[in-house]
Amino acid sequence: MSGYSAEHLSRSGRHLLDRRNFLSSSATALSSIALAKMLQTDQLLAGNASPVIDPAQPYAPRGTHHEPKAKNVIVIFCAGAVSQLETWDYKPELIRQDGKPLKGGPAVTFQGPAGNLARPQYAFRQRGNTGKWVSDMIPHLAELTDDIAFVQSLTSETNTHGPAENFLSTGFVQDGFPSMGSWLSYALGSENQDLPAFVSILDPRGVPQASVNNWGSAFLPAEFQGTPFSASRPIRNLNSPGNISGNQDAAARSFLQRMNARHLEKNPGDGKLAARIASYELAARMQLSVPEIGDLSTEPEHILKLYGADSDVNPTKTAYAKNCILARRLVEKGVRFVQLFNGAYASGGRLNWDGHRELKKQYDVHAEILDQPTAALIKDLKQRGLLEDTLVVFCTEFGRMPMFQKGAQGRDHNPDGFTCWLTGAGVKPGVTHGKTDELGRKAVEDIHPLYDFNATILHLLGIDHERLTYFHNGIERRLTNVEGHVIRQVLT
Amino acid sequence: MRVFLYGFCLGICLVGEWSWSVDFEKEIKPFLEAKCLGCHNPNIKKGDLSFSSRTEVLESGHGLVTPGDAGASDLWLAATPDEPGGQPSMPKDGEPLTDSEAALLEKWIDEGAQWPEGLVLREASKTDKSWWAYRKLTPAKFDSVDRYIDEKLEEAGLERNPEANRRDLIRRATYDLTGLPPSPEEVDAFVASKDPDAYPKLIDRLLASPRYGERWGRHWLDVIRYGESNGFERNFIINELWPFRDYVIRSINQDKPFDQLIREHIAGDVFAKGDPEVAIGSAFLVAGPYDDVGNQDPNAKAQIRANTLDEIVNATGEAFLGMTLGCARCHDHKFDPILQKDYYQMSATFAGVRHGRTTLATPEERRLRDEKLKPLQVRVASLTSERSKLRRVIARRIEEKLPEYEKEWTRPKVDRTGTEEKFDPVDARFVRLICDANDARPEGKNFRLDEVEIYSAGDNPQNVALASAGGKAVGDARKIEDFPGAYGAHLVIDGKTGERFISTSNQITIELGQPTRIDRIVFSSAKGERISQHSKFSFLADYRIEVSLDDEKWVEVANGADRQPVNKAHRDHRLMLVETTAEERKENALLTAEINRLNSEMKKIPELPVVWMGTRNAGDAKGPFHLFIGGSPQRKGESVVPASLSTLSEVTPGYRLPEDSSEAERRLRLAEWITHPGNPLAARVLANRLWHYHFGTGIVDTPNDFGYMGGRPSHPELLDFLAHELKRNGWQLKAMHRLIMLSSTYRQSSGYREAAAQKDGDSRLLWRFPPRRLSAEEIRDTILAISGKLDEKMGGPGFRLYHYMSDNVSTYEPLDEHGPETYRRAVYHQNARSSVVDLMTEFDQPDCALSTPRRARTTTPLQALTMLNHDFTLDMAEALADRVGAGLPSEQASRLFRYAYVREPDEVEQKQVAEAIETTGLRSVCRAILNSNELIYLD
Repeated sequence: MSGYSAEHLSRSGRHLLDRRNFLSSSATALSSIALAKMLQTDQLLAGNASPVIDPAQPYAPRGTHHEPKAKNVIVIFCAGAVSQLETWDYKPELIRQDGKPLKGGPAVTFQGPAGNLARPQYAFRQRGNTGKWVSDMIPHLAELTDDIAFVQSLTSETNTHGPAENFLSTGFVQDGFPSMGSWLSYALGSENQDLPAFVSILDPRGVPQASVNNWGSAFLPAEFQGTPFSASRPIRNLNSPGNISGNQDAAARSFLQRMNARHLEKNPGDGKLAARIASYELAARMQLSVPEIGDLSTEPEHILKLYGADSDVNPTKTAYAKNCILARRLVEKGVRFVQLFNGAYASGGRLNWDGHRELKKQYDVHAEILDQPTAALIKDLKQRGLLEDTLVVFCTEFGRMPMFQKGAQGRDHNPDGFTCWLTGAGVKPGVTHGKTDELGRKAVEDIHPLYDFNATILHLLGIDHERLTYFHNGIERRLTNVEGHVIRQVLT
Repeated sequence: MRVFLYGFCLGICLVGEWSWSVDFEKEIKPFLEAKCLGCHNPNIKKGDLSFSSRTEVLESGHGLVTPGDAGASDLWLAATPDEPGGQPSMPKDGEPLTDSEAALLEKWIDEGAQWPEGLVLREASKTDKSWWAYRKLTPAKFDSVDRYIDEKLEEAGLERNPEANRRDLIRRATYDLTGLPPSPEEVDAFVASKDPDAYPKLIDRLLASPRYGERWGRHWLDVIRYGESNGFERNFIINELWPFRDYVIRSINQDKPFDQLIREHIAGDVFAKGDPEVAIGSAFLVAGPYDDVGNQDPNAKAQIRANTLDEIVNATGEAFLGMTLGCARCHDHKFDPILQKDYYQMSATFAGVRHGRTTLATPEERRLRDEKLKPLQVRVASLTSERSKLRRVIARRIEEKLPEYEKEWTRPKVDRTGTEEKFDPVDARFVRLICDANDARPEGKNFRLDEVEIYSAGDNPQNVALASAGGKAVGDARKIEDFPGAYGAHLVIDGKTGERFISTSNQITIELGQPTRIDRIVFSSAKGERISQHSKFSFLADYRIEVSLDDEKWVEVANGADRQPVNKAHRDHRLMLVETTAEERKENALLTAEINRLNSEMKKIPELPVVWMGTRNAGDAKGPFHLFIGGSPQRKGESVVPASLSTLSEVTPGYRLPEDSSEAERRLRLAEWITHPGNPLAARVLANRLWHYHFGTGIVDTPNDFGYMGGRPSHPELLDFLAHELKRNGWQLKAMHRLIMLSSTYRQSSGYREAAAQKDGDSRLLWRFPPRRLSAEEIRDTILAISGKLDEKMGGPGFRLYHYMSDNVSTYEPLDEHGPETYRRAVYHQNARSSVVDLMTEFDQPDCALSTPRRARTTTPLQALTMLNHDFTLDMAEALADRVGAGLPSEQASRLFRYAYVREPDEVEQKQVAEAIETTGLRSVCRAILNSNELIYLD
């Protein structure tokens, strides 16, 4: 946590940046205007329009297409493809057919020859009022099913992690398209001007397979990209250099402001100059507010305990639990889009959910990290009333095959039918929508390509996925390409 | 319910037109195509319906059209409102049928729905071949850029600004052509010059500078999505593509005709075989991202291959033609006259291209290398044969004695799933396992282990090796940087199987918690594995187990010498060791030493250059080729052959090649077709790019898209004039820069006038020169240049501002410190895809996954944080301070301004700066100056 402590900020720096004095002490009136403009709110987006971004106020809160149900989103992103068959998609028939070949099944899947059908590796039992069957792998999350809307019939366009993460996060298999968080920042701006609008909290084990594509802005303006940091990894270059004293730093900044003010006087009519002056002021505010939000020492013992952040036994779990707390704190402060990763890149299933060879052994490890902290996050949001305007999304890039791979104890990639879920603002609690076949090989009922899932998320935030567009290389691009239907069955 | 429409028909009847019978082709087809086919075509098939053919409409079994009864036909019911004035349910988007169209449709159905045999409907694109961009160039009206500009300004009641002052002008021109600031001396000379030709001479000097190719080469690299990692799943870095980057810079510095450059990009390897400097141009084809994951699923594999070709087709269309060909992949282009067939014809053209490395050398280089290699190879061959002879002699002896040896091998061979050794109880603190031969390659001595169990002697044997029992394991292991301990020795005593220690030496030592009496050891590399023969479980074949109490004196307690060998190679290896006489051993050693020496001699002869140019494969290029319905390789449609695009068929002679044409010929013909003098598009697109980079916005503000969805030209006649001039100048860019930069339009000041801004805020009409922020590269280069640190070394492998880590996948970790090896121009940075680089990424350097025809210019707080706090800024502030040197603060202020802003400070500034230097120090002031707006904005 040392990266966050306020002592890295100088006393005079803090004084200079004192929020109460902030606007009045700005060196130029124009930059104040630019800053004030950055903070002003627009009305509902007009008719068919995509947002119009004033370069001088890129983060101004902007309107929506319709009345939103959710103000913020936390996307819990399980990298590596969590098996639907070991978690949410109960298949008794698979138990019966354990060890038999899958009739008419593919002989070869992503990684090679297919083996026989294999029963779920965990026991299932019914939970809550809805009686939803959930496995023992995730006992804490299983308690929450009455609040969750499951979509069990999702499909992806690809069976490869990197492209599939692209598809989940950007709507395209290829590299080079904007992530959902950047689309939303572009659409909605930000509620909090002291923090980034879009934060990506990386897993303690490393970056996900598609890495920055998951939070990049691609051809959208760079200001809408996600800012990666976590409870253990501060924002890059946030802190003023250690070898420069606080006085020096403050003096350099105030000198810089004088230079810029003078330059601005000589060059009237260019809003970009004022915007850049304002961006330095915003940066200064971030230097104060980010360490504050990352400082978990103010969290009471019972909260740390609830998340499982209070123990040194499993450092990975503790680190992930702290990330979960950070996610809640960001949402509390009005950060619009928080992406919370669970799992890193492909590593033979050791750092993420990619259980090709030894699924049970590895899932025992991963589930221990995921389960309690994630469930605690949702409970905590709920007890604070935050779930009323926060949408929580649980997703993964695809599912896994009902067969084991030949000669292995794990499952290969399966993009043809898998489960993600929603809970919180605007979500109908306790429903399960869509179905895979009796063995969980393919979606067969209410089939939804991930486009639909993403369209639904945008919808809950007040955005019509067909009308949020950006022109690039000849096409009005969308998060959902030319596809997507809102899944109304999971909405209140 | 259809009162309104019946009434309407009645109206027609009353005026006596009832006797008409409907002409399907003239009266029905146009509106079906315009209003229905967009969704209901064989590719998209919304609601599982297509209206493109007679069979689909009349014989679908959906009751879509019931001939003779419109009222019982879903098509008519859906396309007309239930109630007068209501909304019909179809079309979902777009204009519904007009009343007269609805009436015609009803009549056509009621009359029996006659559909002419063989007639196929296609969705009409919004534009046709007469679209402005596909027309011939219009003849020039004026002979100068200014007159075109002034004409439009006059129409708008605007006028140009006066000429910019000389400091602004030289700063603008120098950045524009070289991407760097002018030196203070250059500015002084230019400002003071009385020569009326000072400005044209300045332009000539800049065009002659090698920095020019670096600047304009960078522009072009953006357009052709040049990047040095493959993206997608693995994102491996590519270290052999820089020769292509150097080729681009070199070509531009040489003022190579650009049509020639385009031809080289598409087919340089065909017409310049044996000339690497030209052939490398065709690396364009494979300079984009591609998926190399090695998917085993055949359908997925076919899709990936189609995506790879799609990437090349798109890059080609966007860079050279300003066309979005990718939109015609799943269906005919909805906006531009590009057929789905056109797309697949182009895709077939590239079918023989694969990504990868290839040796690229002149015949002379190959000959010279062969000459040096040959004698060494001959010598190695003869020594090797001598050594084989010696080994055969020994082998014969082994065969004879084999039965005797076999008797000694009384125990079963080692077992990867668990090999056990029992021995007399012995006190041990340390136990080590030494490998003398591994079972995959007997000469090798490294191995893998998932578990080692060491049992205490006595009635209640315990595994005392376990870490939980106090054991520690030490052994050299394979390392992955961002996953420490992935293969470490600790894995053998964790009580779990499945994860393996991978040794890089021949042993592993386990230290027990305390001295213990032990009598049994079990070790394995594939415990519980079903396919234990997999190579990743490679194991010890010959081994020794030693124990020690003090880590100094060791006693052997077991070995595998009496076990049966694991296979013949292992057997021979074992016997060779014992059956070789001292003399033979000596001879063998001598021979081997000499062979090794010669081999290392050969290694010293430089390899032929290997470049990332891809390979060309006749096998892949074999037809037949098909159109993929809906873009899916599993749904083959009409067959196609490599051919030119139909879009330009009215202005440029096309071509059509047989299915079995060579892949080289296909690309050659495409290259010639794109640069054919009759093709107006390539010249327009290039002329527009030049304008875009000079003025910040193109005449067409979407430089990669001249179609319906793109922008319309602000000055169409000027664009054609420039295209003419480009051709007249033999596609050489330097003449074009002169033409543009010598114009008064370019030379005018950027001064702001409120009244003009009211009419034309963005200055699209160019009443002022549009000021701009520097690009990411310019910012970094500028900081280096003014701090006196810029290393002007050209070409060669790029430098990296990230730390590259790679195992199965790649990770790029941005560097906190940028050393002097990174002080080169940013164009020489090895730009990897999906990586983040401090400063560059924040200032809108594109990711290069897709073509970037224009850069964004954003302003964010993260830019400020990086510019203020990154070590690079601090290092450069220090260097700049050193360069300014000692002296009175006012003198320092003067020098600082000259270096940074190439001007003198005015009185107020001088005072302010001097004061700041006195109070906070020169370095701190330099840090602020590096962050200042004036440094990175250009008038």
